[in-house]
Amino acid sequence: MSDKLEVQQGTLALMILKTIEGLGPIHGYGVARRIEETSQHRLVLNHGTLYPALVKLEQAGFIEADWRPSENNRRAKFYSLTESGRARLAREALDWQKTADLMAAFLSPRTETT
Amino acid sequence: MSLIRTVIARAKGLFTKDLRDAELREELETHIALEAAEYVRRGLSPADARRKAMLASGGLTQATEAVRDVRGWPWLESIASDVNYALRALRRTPAFTIAAVLTLALGIGANTAIFSVVRGVLLKPLPHRDGDRLLYLRQSTDGPGGANVSFSVPEVRDFRNGVSSLAGMAEYSPFTLTLQAEENTMRIDVGLVTGNFFDVMGLSPAIGRLTNASDDGPGVPPVMVLAHEFWLKQYAGDSSIVGKQVRIDGQSVTVIGVLQQAPFFPDRVDALCNMVISPHHVSAMMVEGRSHRMTEIVARLKPNATVSQASVEVAAAYSRMQNEYADVYNAASHYRVAVIPFRKALGERAELTLWLLMGAAAFVLIISIANVVSLTLMRGVRREQELVVRAALGAGVSRLRRLLLVENLALASIGAAFGLLIAFGGVKMLISFAERYSPRASEIRIDLTALGFTLVLSVAVAMLLSYVASLPREGSLATLISAGARRASGSARTQRLQRVLVVAQIAVSVVLLSGAGLLTRTMIQLYEVDTGLETEEVLTMSVQLFNQSRMDPAADVANKQLYSQMRTEIARLPGVKKVGLGGVMPLRSSSVRLEVKAEGQMPAPGVAVPKAEMRTADEQYFRAAGIPLKRGREFATTDVPGGARVVIINQALAEQLFHNEDPIGKRIAWTGAVLPFTPLSGDWRTVVGVVQNTQDGGLDTKPQSAMFMPFAQELAMGGGVVIRADSNVARLAAASTRIVRRIAPTAPIENVMTISQYKDTSISPQRLNAALISSFGIVALVMSVVGIAGVLAFSVGARTNEIGIRMSLGADGGRVQRMILREGGVLLSVGLAIGVVGAYLGARLIQGLLFGVTPDDPITLVGVIATMAVMGIGACWIPALRASRIDPAITMRS
Repeated sequence: MSDKLEVQQGTLALMILKTIEGLGPIHGYGVARRIEETSQHRLVLNHGTLYPALVKLEQAGFIEADWRPSENNRRAKFYSLTESGRARLAREALDWQKTADLMAAFLSPRTETT
Repeated sequence: MSLIRTVIARAKGLFTKDLRDAELREELETHIALEAAEYVRRGLSPADARRKAMLASGGLTQATEAVRDVRGWPWLESIASDVNYALRALRRTPAFTIAAVLTLALGIGANTAIFSVVRGVLLKPLPHRDGDRLLYLRQSTDGPGGANVSFSVPEVRDFRNGVSSLAGMAEYSPFTLTLQAEENTMRIDVGLVTGNFFDVMGLSPAIGRLTNASDDGPGVPPVMVLAHEFWLKQYAGDSSIVGKQVRIDGQSVTVIGVLQQAPFFPDRVDALCNMVISPHHVSAMMVEGRSHRMTEIVARLKPNATVSQASVEVAAAYSRMQNEYADVYNAASHYRVAVIPFRKALGERAELTLWLLMGAAAFVLIISIANVVSLTLMRGVRREQELVVRAALGAGVSRLRRLLLVENLALASIGAAFGLLIAFGGVKMLISFAERYSPRASEIRIDLTALGFTLVLSVAVAMLLSYVASLPREGSLATLISAGARRASGSARTQRLQRVLVVAQIAVSVVLLSGAGLLTRTMIQLYEVDTGLETEEVLTMSVQLFNQSRMDPAADVANKQLYSQMRTEIARLPGVKKVGLGGVMPLRSSSVRLEVKAEGQMPAPGVAVPKAEMRTADEQYFRAAGIPLKRGREFATTDVPGGARVVIINQALAEQLFHNEDPIGKRIAWTGAVLPFTPLSGDWRTVVGVVQNTQDGGLDTKPQSAMFMPFAQELAMGGGVVIRADSNVARLAAASTRIVRRIAPTAPIENVMTISQYKDTSISPQRLNAALISSFGIVALVMSVVGIAGVLAFSVGARTNEIGIRMSLGADGGRVQRMILREGGVLLSVGLAIGVVGAYLGARLIQGLLFGVTPDDPITLVGVIATMAVMGIGACWIPALRASRIDPAITMRS
């Protein structure tokens, strides 16, 4: 069993939004690197996971993109958060926090004994 | 909200596919480059760094596919590719495609065209406001001319007071008037209506106003509302006509408005007027005479009332009237009143014919679908290999099914497109056909509903075609492929289905052909009806001298002089043998039919009083028309006003009144409750002659009793000239018309027609029926012959090996041929047997359209069976011959 995790449904969008909020405007590679680093390389994002997620967020209007030169002077697509993306992030983060707390309380040994 | 945005973004993604793909590729490349640069910084060689980055990406193609899946609608794109594939597949098999498209086009086209007619004439809601609440009342009696005797004003009044479920009841009296325009005088058909008529009918003016209660009764100015069609035709849609005066029968009439487009019943009208325009219609005779029936009734149901409620109340009011005025309702004539929804009354005459056509079209569709199904099955067997390969490459069964559906949808839509072309052409022809049967013919068009009908039909056909093709079951493919099979299913099921289809085609063709046969025989029988006239070299024309409808005795003398001047001058034309004058032209029915009595005879109780048509004739009429004199003498120049009152009767009346006695010298007279309302007297008249019966009521009816009076002796209520020539009488039409025109410049001349032209015109509905159903029948015959030949050919193809073995074991060509012929013969006989039963049942349904033939007419049935059998066996011969020429050596080797 590897210590690499599958990205859970619904969590990737939140991670991407949070990353873009902190570092944006940022290109796809930057987002991937940041998420891998933050997860201490427990999460690895291949393109087939990352880019469809970006496209979906862009379609929903939570992020927007424009083409700019990157650090190696290639053209890259830089993503930044929109207003509705910011609102979405705040709401999702809160929801996730609540869910996480609930799961933590649920799965803790104390709960099992009662 | 974000959903809408997603939808828009996806839709955009669909149309900017190439651009988006290029951008994505660039984005992914940048990602790889940035990642590789990072690895180089950590000390890897550029090549290794790039490889590692590529590996981490998980594959660019996969990523592109994953992005595409969320970007547009992949299923939409794959349908586009399916359509593309389907069209390519259809192009690859042009023979199949053309055959299938043409077949479907015929079936779909015929059905769309006839459906639009059925819808326009029978099904579409009426243009009248709340048209489903309109009712038509019909009074009828037994005997000839009794189908619709209409109502009298006192009867209308009693109904109006006695039926509470009706919101209104309007009177409508058909009438003919003479419209004097500057360049042309013409007779127009009008309806004389009560002021509430338009309100009851729920009709609105297109321009101007309609009549109302203030236009009722005597002493009001005459006004006229133009029917929409007449306004367009006569006044070219000029709206300035409203408010102007026109001359009608010598009086000034104000045009007050133009009516919206609406169908009329029982007759088409050019205009509607208030009653005062005809002094007769506001006279005491009309208003108080219970037996003076000249009025049609239309009524409107109250919002919550039902037709059956109204029927019950009308029946109750009617039986009260019959009790109170027993003398007016002769019990032996069985007076009765029917309450009919107006829409049904409008479609009455067309109904049977139209359902016949719809049925025939449906049959053609069944045959054409059967043909295409059969073609698809044959093609399907050849394609099984392809389907197996596609399955092996990863297409699921549902995907294959979808592929077939798309292909058949493409096929059906192309068929439907051509079908619509046929339908648009056909509808034009059908409108003129429907005009003979229905006042609603102008409402026929291929509208959205008809197009919807076509669409549903095409989709249904496509679905059917897709699901008859057998596909292998899911999971069974792997076995087939590993076994190296070239086919996924046996052809047993396919062949069984094909045989069923061929049997159905033959049966349906037999039904259609026998319908066509019966209708054709009906037409021929009508042509062969003896009109009672000795010759067809007779030209007739009606000349309506001005003011005749007013029955003015002073004007009558002058009119008679004009008529005899016409007779004299036409007789001088070269080639003319005889010229006669008469009130009603031969082979046309008289509008006046009255009760008659014979001197010394008491009417037997319980037997309807005999009635006869009132006709007039001069001394030349019978000879000019070619009506043979059976007994006595013709009229003479001495039968003039003031002379002895004499009549000539036809054989039907002679038989009815005198049975086997000699009627010459007996005295008869007009009688009955209606007589006082006519200008005729009830004096005794001596019978001086008996003439042969003629088909005045139409070729398909029994000859009706008629009494002729001397043209000179009676008030002329109508008139016309009968011209007999040695040969080619039609050429006299122009010269005779010129003479009449010179003598009576303003008189309308109508129906200038030879007897054979008249016969042609009166048979034309039957001729059209026969032609339409026959063409359907021929299409059906051709398709089923092609069907049976195709199926046998296919069967021979599938059995080539078997036949080869048989032949190498000693079977000769003749034997093989017989084997195949037997196979076809079984199909043919089963189809014929089912078809004959169907034909018999179908013919009973159209009995009302037949004349002179019974539904089980043996000549028709034998003829149809023989035709079908000969054509069918001929069709079987081709594949049988091919089978007998199979070379066993070649088949066995391959």
